[in-house]
Amino acid sequence: MASLGCHFLLPLMMKSLDPRVTRLNIPEGELVPKVPLDQFGTFEVFVQIKEGKGYRHEGIVHAPNIDMAFLFAKEQFSRRMMCSGIFVAETRNVYVTAFTEDKDNVYSHIVDNIPEDGEEETYEFFHLNKRGKQHSHIGSVPAKSHQHALTLAKSEFINGDPVYNVWVIKTSDILFTNEEDKIMWDTLPDKKFRDASDYRASDKIKEFKERQQ
Amino acid sequence: MYGGGNTFEGIKSTGLETEDPVKLAEFEARIERGEKIEPHDWMPQLYRKQLIRMIEQHAHSEIIGALPEGTWITRAPGFKRKLALMAKVQDEVGHAQLLYGAAETLGKPREQMLDDLISGKSKYSNIFNYPAFTWADSCFISWLVDAGAIVNQLANARGSYGPYCRALERICAEESFHLKYGHHCVIHLATGSQVQRDMMQAAFNRWWPPMMHFFGPSDKASVHSEILMRWKVKMSSNDDQRNQFLDMYVPKIWELGFTLPDPNLRKNTETDKWEYTEPDWEEFKRVINGDGPCNAERLAVRRTAEERGRWVRKALLAPKTEYVAPLA
Repeated sequence: MASLGCHFLLPLMMKSLDPRVTRLNIPEGELVPKVPLDQFGTFEVFVQIKEGKGYRHEGIVHAPNIDMAFLFAKEQFSRRMMCSGIFVAETRNVYVTAFTEDKDNVYSHIVDNIPEDGEEETYEFFHLNKRGKQHSHIGSVPAKSHQHALTLAKSEFINGDPVYNVWVIKTSDILFTNEEDKIMWDTLPDKKFRDASDYRASDKIKEFKERQQ
Repeated sequence: MYGGGNTFEGIKSTGLETEDPVKLAEFEARIERGEKIEPHDWMPQLYRKQLIRMIEQHAHSEIIGALPEGTWITRAPGFKRKLALMAKVQDEVGHAQLLYGAAETLGKPREQMLDDLISGKSKYSNIFNYPAFTWADSCFISWLVDAGAIVNQLANARGSYGPYCRALERICAEESFHLKYGHHCVIHLATGSQVQRDMMQAAFNRWWPPMMHFFGPSDKASVHSEILMRWKVKMSSNDDQRNQFLDMYVPKIWELGFTLPDPNLRKNTETDKWEYTEPDWEEFKRVINGDGPCNAERLAVRRTAEERGRWVRKALLAPKTEYVAPLA
């Protein structure tokens, strides 16, 4: 990352129109220059938009750990009851296959990989079924590694509709919401002020026009 | 939504002669077919560079645009307006997060974008270098600056870069509330007392010139903008967007009995285009280059926020520690 060598020269701060800015008491002169910090890690966010629907990749957040990533994801992706569940997983824990196109199913490129030993764990599968869309959660398989999981899934998906890309994430690398957490999606029903429907004003315009005549 | 009036880098050479002609042809064919370009796809350097610039500017505009409206949260007339304005400002900052995420898929780290914002290297929508003196100014922004941005963003949502389009889809879903809320506020002042009407009229007079600047100067017919249009980075010309905005909103302003400070503003029924006095592009250039009423304050606020929040980020980044029993 390029470092910012310059010092920030601040202008003489006159009393601002913004009372919050005035309260900041921004000092005249230089601030301590910003140093490059290591960035927070990147986390992929999967959202269930409605109860009973599947989870779909929705975007990313940056956070210092997975719990905070979940918190940020909730802030970002659950406003206005647009969500009934969230998964987060650190991006570097996502195993990504190659990308294919047209009628080429990515599973036909999976090389069989059967490890001799190792412990069995479950792996979650996310498929890209259409170019330009997001990855959707398909299900999970118990396997000994990411590649092994792909080998096991191959027979099930190789003859179906083409899958263009697969993300495999170890279940234990994902932070899920569970039954007891459901309560966190209950938005107060009286937050109507957030919706366009709360701002109808055509009557007022009509009445105004009538008065003008 | 606060984007709009993007400035594209005036590149002398497109650099296309150094690109692989076979890959370039495949790339262009894909766009021609209406398919989206995804982060893992091959793309010309120029495409990547201009998209980063555009999405980054859009994200910065959301952050900086929240400042003039945020000013009015504590002074908004009544509890309901305060709640609504808070919700709107929260949405806008959330939009910035989505847009930074989309720009990051092109390879520019988020922290670098924030660095470039506070060092003044990156631009944001020029209109936010003007101050919101009164509540009516804040209403103007909520209704008409958002409306202008919607014109721009609905166009961009049909663009070629997948992650940007998907972020815009999410953003647009929240926009209808902003627009309705802004219109509601303006209608309230329009149908209120004479003092309220006068305050709103004064806001129209103040904000009209920067609003006409909002979509940027006429695009010059250049190889460069022709390529950006062909690659669906830029979806319509600045003049077309300005015309679309005037067509949708001038009648709505006039029906409330307000005037706009341009004697030449009218729709030519023959060409079906709006005519207006050419905006002062010298002022536009002067302000975008740093000499506007609020440029210094907007950046100073961001820099101060960075400096004063630094300890929090530092603390969160501290290496993992481990619990042990106290020694004594």
